[in-house]
This record gives sequence, structure tokens and C-alpha cells, in this order.
Amino acid sequence: MADDILNTIIGKPTGTTVVTVERGQLALFASAVKDESPIYRDPRAAAEAGLPGIPAPPTYPLVMGNFGAYPELQPGDAPSGNPMAEVIGPLMAKGGLILHGEQEFTYHRPVFAGDVLVGEGKVVDAYRKESKGRTMTFVVVETAWSERSTGEPVCTSRMNIIHRI
Amino acid sequence: MGDQVLYFEDVAEGDRAPELAHVLTRTDLVAYAGASGDFNPMHHDEVKATAAGQPSVFGHGMFSMGLVGTAITNYVGVGNVRRFQVRFARQTWPDEELRTRIVVTGTRTEGDDHLVDLDVRLHNVDGEEKVVGEATAVVPCRL
Repeated sequence: MADDILNTIIGKPTGTTVVTVERGQLALFASAVKDESPIYRDPRAAAEAGLPGIPAPPTYPLVMGNFGAYPELQPGDAPSGNPMAEVIGPLMAKGGLILHGEQEFTYHRPVFAGDVLVGEGKVVDAYRKESKGRTMTFVVVETAWSERSTGEPVCTSRMNIIHRI
Repeated sequence: MGDQVLYFEDVAEGDRAPELAHVLTRTDLVAYAGASGDFNPMHHDEVKATAAGQPSVFGHGMFSMGLVGTAITNYVGVGNVRRFQVRFARQTWPDEELRTRIVVTGTRTEGDDHLVDLDVRLHNVDGEEKVVGEATAVVPCRL
């Protein structure tokens, strides 16, 4: 695959997702990352900590699109085609391994149970490196999450995915 | 764990957050797969992982980051993190003891916000680094 294919995906949207953030999922996720704080489980503990609701653990925004993205919430004019799949699909057909290289979150406020959020993703970078006889292809995807009702920004996730062969 | 508040006046460069230590199990990986929706078989299917040339299943990078996140919020308080960034340096393996290392690199004020900058890491008992990154939290003032 030529590098010009990588260049063509930079700036391309990876899709828009609308999610409802659900309380049970937050407690489950907190347990999975070994956090037993009552703040993730009891609204009274959250209120005592000065929070308006049950918050999500800091790394939850990366996975929240996997839950509560109910079909009736999704925008009808979703763009077709996934630029990630366009690049990663052909690479995986040759074998190799997909690795998560880097991850960054910036938070304007915590995510709370009951939030309805819109996530808009786009490819912000794509490049290739040769190292020790291996070919590494990097794709960086940024997803900006905002409140559906107000448009206020909530958090941004920046994910660097590597295909290594 | 939320009941102990970290105040800006009490933080200084070089301070360390309490260490969180955890021995990784395959059950952790299954639990994280279910709670995150990440069912990449490399993290739960020993047969597929070994067929792919891996010595065994290995941890989700995001499990490692999540563990570091737990140690960060234990220290600065839930809801106070403003930025959290990591690079995944090495894979984690079942039966490895993972330990967080979180050090204050600076404190500063930005507008009304009192910020604490952190160097955040996860390593095993041999000191091999798994995750290296940084975080910024906003913490309350006593005054």
C-alpha cells in the first residue's frame, strides 16, 4: 500500500456516535480497573465528593461508544465508509499485529451517568516507519465528545494505533 | 478514595502518590474485556494468542492505563483529572505484579484553577516500564 493512501485518510471523519452513559456500566468498568470507590456506585458518595452525579473513570471515554449507542439515537446522515478500516483492513490481511501505541484524554468535565453525548471522530495523522526490519503503520484518531443537548465539549480522546509486521 | 481531599497547599514537586500494586490474572483480562467491549482474542484466548506467536494472552494496554487512572484518582480525587496521556511501552503478562509510580512534577495556577502536574508510570517488580505518561489534575485550595 502506497503512502499516498495514508495521506488521503488524514482529516477524514471516522463517524459520529451518540451514546447514553449508563450507571451500571460505570460501576462495572470501575471494578475492571480495580477501583472500588463508592463514588462510582453510590450517588450519595458522589454528592459528598461534590459531584453532580455518578462519574465515569478517566479511561471510560475510550470505550463508551461500545455501550449505550442505541440505534434510535444515531444520526440518520452518517457518512458511509470507515477510513480506519480502509487502511487497517488491507494491512491485517497481510498478517501482523495491531497495537495501541499511545492514548491521551483531555477533560473539560467528567462524564456522568445519564449523559447523552455525541462523539465525532476523525483521522488526525497517518504515517509509516521502518524499524529493525519491521514496518510500522501509525494511524491517529481523535474523537471529540460533547453534550448532545448543549453542544458543550466534554472530553477528547486521541488514540495512536500501530500495525506492526 | 474520595474521602481524603488533596489540597493544593499540601502538594509539592517530588511528592509521590500512594502506590497501587496488582498481580495481573487472566480473570482480570476477561473482566476488562467484558467491561470495555474489547474482545480482541489476544487478551483472553490462549489458543489464538499462542498461535499468533505470543507466549500467552497479554493485558489490554487500556487495562494498564486504567490501573494508572485508578491510582491517579485515588490521589487527586475522582472528577479532578484534566488531562491524562500515556505511551504503551511493553506488553503485560498474567502473573506479573504491576505497580504504579506517580510523582508530582510541578504545581501551578491557571486563572482560578490550581493545577498539579504528574509523571505517571506503571512497571513490574523488575522495574520494566509498561506505561509511561503524564497527567494534570485540578485540586481544591484550603483558602
